[in-house]
Amino acid sequence: MTTPPLPLEGIRIADFGQIIAVPYTAQMLAWLGAEVILIETEDRLTTRVWPPFAEAEPGVNRSGGFNLVNSSKMSCTLNLRDPEGVALAKQIIAVSDVLVENYSSGTMERMGLGYAAVQALRPDVVYLSLGAFGRTGPMKDLVGFHSVINLFSGLASVTGHKGSHPRIMGGLFPDAFSGCYCVLALLEALYHRANTGEGQYIEVAMTEVLATILPEAVMKYTLDGTEPERVGNRHQEKVPHNVFRCLGDENWVAISVEDDAQFRALAQVAGIPEWAEDPRFSATEARLSHQDELEPLIEQWTLGCKVEDVVEKLQAAGVPAGPVLDSAQVLADPHMIQRGFVQSPDHPIVGPRPMGAFSWTVDGGQPAIPRSAPLFGEHNKKVIQELLQVPGEEFERLMQNGVIR
Amino acid sequence: MLREGALAGLKVLELTDQVSGQVAGSFCARLLGDAGADVVKVESPQGDHYRKSGPYPGGVPDPDCSGMFLYLNSNKRGVALDIESPGGRAAFQDLVATSDFLVLGQNSSEVQRFGLSRERLSESNPGLIVVTITPFGLTGFNSAYLGDDLIAISSGGMAYATPGIPDRVEDPGREPPLRSNTHMAGYLAGVQGAMASVAALLSRSMTGTGCEIDLSMQEAVAAVMPFELAHASYHEAKPRRPEIFGVMPNTYLPCQDGYVVVMAVMDAHWRNLMVIADNPDWAELEVFSSGVERARNWDALEPLLLEWTMAHTGAEIAQLAQERGIPCFPAYTVGQMVDSAHVIERGFMVDMEGPGGQKFKLPGYPVRLERTPWKFFRPAPKLGEHTSEVLGEWLGYSDAQLSTVGVEAR
Repeated sequence: MTTPPLPLEGIRIADFGQIIAVPYTAQMLAWLGAEVILIETEDRLTTRVWPPFAEAEPGVNRSGGFNLVNSSKMSCTLNLRDPEGVALAKQIIAVSDVLVENYSSGTMERMGLGYAAVQALRPDVVYLSLGAFGRTGPMKDLVGFHSVINLFSGLASVTGHKGSHPRIMGGLFPDAFSGCYCVLALLEALYHRANTGEGQYIEVAMTEVLATILPEAVMKYTLDGTEPERVGNRHQEKVPHNVFRCLGDENWVAISVEDDAQFRALAQVAGIPEWAEDPRFSATEARLSHQDELEPLIEQWTLGCKVEDVVEKLQAAGVPAGPVLDSAQVLADPHMIQRGFVQSPDHPIVGPRPMGAFSWTVDGGQPAIPRSAPLFGEHNKKVIQELLQVPGEEFERLMQNGVIR
Repeated sequence: MLREGALAGLKVLELTDQVSGQVAGSFCARLLGDAGADVVKVESPQGDHYRKSGPYPGGVPDPDCSGMFLYLNSNKRGVALDIESPGGRAAFQDLVATSDFLVLGQNSSEVQRFGLSRERLSESNPGLIVVTITPFGLTGFNSAYLGDDLIAISSGGMAYATPGIPDRVEDPGREPPLRSNTHMAGYLAGVQGAMASVAALLSRSMTGTGCEIDLSMQEAVAAVMPFELAHASYHEAKPRRPEIFGVMPNTYLPCQDGYVVVMAVMDAHWRNLMVIADNPDWAELEVFSSGVERARNWDALEPLLLEWTMAHTGAEIAQLAQERGIPCFPAYTVGQMVDSAHVIERGFMVDMEGPGGQKFKLPGYPVRLERTPWKFFRPAPKLGEHTSEVLGEWLGYSDAQLSTVGVEAR
């Protein structure tokens, strides 16, 4: 049996991504079969020179922050401050189907690589620009990392404990979530191009991406001016709905009870069936107004138990529960390993390192297996000599002049 | 209705059972409709969970006007069918046979119970792409587990990682992991489900055959945490500790009238920040000489910066900083974001109107595609609004056949 082709086989992508959001986007496209050429410039490096480094030892090929969002790509290092470097970049773009970038607004244009210029090189290009605030509007020139985007979008204002200050969501959430929307948009644009021959310009604002998860808050505010409150892990309809400490250090279990039947089951599992008879707890409405009393009682029980025992017993009784996993536990989770989510591509310098792959399977298997991230400039020869057909002597000259480096 | 958009001409059938309140299946289908596909939402005669959830424009519960329902189901048509009844079941199967996508957002046991796996459905429709979004996926040790947003955010690693970089946790042993008061995992899984769907469509263009996509909400959460996973993978650092902050300042600090974002990661930003902070004598210290050093020595730097921010309002700091190209500004509430000049000028919010003429807004679409732009094609359907229309149009059902499907068409 032959392996079916990947969805993006035959598609080439020029990747001008910075930090996480667009590199993450291009990585997903690489996993889906596209040939992604990451175009790097030595004095503009971001995650390559930032921690975490393997064993905390710095080095351009040792950063996990880089290697986990650039797997399956090729690396071509050009000096984009040199006109000859830009000329090579243009040659790469001319043979690419897609260009993705998230430099500050105006940077690509200043290098002569804005949409209009690129369209002249490649009329059917799909060109994606992502910015913290997008490419239009009064704040378009402001740079923003995830923290800024959390705090501008209002997400931080609905994240935090009751009566306490706003908090920043973990996981550099705005970057990767924006990346997901970018991947979706690019796949749609490529489908449209396959049907019509037409490329297009795509623009994404990360702050707007975050606002897409706040419909209730936006609606309430625009109806009557009410701002949302911070409620910790609690829920307006489900109770208990929180994380509870378990045996050991930094171990928590998440429990979410939807109805009274589930609460009775929880009380049974906890060995305190009287909870279900207590007028403070027996019905959802009553439980909602007595959470401050109920939660410590539940934690008294969970504190003596292992996380996995609580989860297993509650799930067996039909109560939604799950472990609160830290990053290392995610990568070691037997269930996600069994589903193929955790992959460990072997990197020539730092060795095999576990990472997350696809959140879905296709017909029971991972759609593709990631290859390790490229070394700095690893594919210069392949891209410039083989793809662009630049002769060897010329390649050497460009190397010596620091155009390729 | 003639639709435009990248996915115009494709049919999507959505069946989501939302007892657990997950938004993923509905959002996934909506995104396909946003791209121009003809999306039909199948509901039981009792109606979708979110019809009962609000917020309601007039404050009075109205199943056709719940804010969450309106948001999750715009750009769809609605069919009400009792798929537990023989007539409803047969009509549902006929709809599946003519669809390009079947989007299922349920617990895994429901998928098994209704025999909705592609294996069963592909005989009548080999091109069908089945997209299943469940809390833990359809395979693996924990596939039978129940779950919702809290469970997915927790078991996917995001709760533990929150508060996130560079938010300080004084005692990681006692401060509980945190979720946001949103349906974050559902939206994450919904967008990824749509990604997987269009990827499968591109494959189908080459092979002619559909496939079964099995998406796990737990993994949809873990999949957006490459940076935190990298820390675990590369030097065993746990989240919520300063050693994973990377480069600083990249944070928010209290100021006179709230909170202000202070971001000066690049050295040029840092130098400018020190200028607007009146060049304090600590500005040139070796321990603050680079973003990495400033992260390493954040314990010392934070109180120094705090002294400066607390002497100003957020607006004062923002103005000084932005004049010098440093991205600082006051932290916004949801309302301040909605009312900001930036959001208004970009026209991001969509104007809506309730049944009593109440005006309100909902978030629009965050991606602008020049050639295949997002449009608000139609508002969310009333329960069963398009039952006869869709069964007639997709299946050629006559009025007599309609009366057998178990639901009275409106």
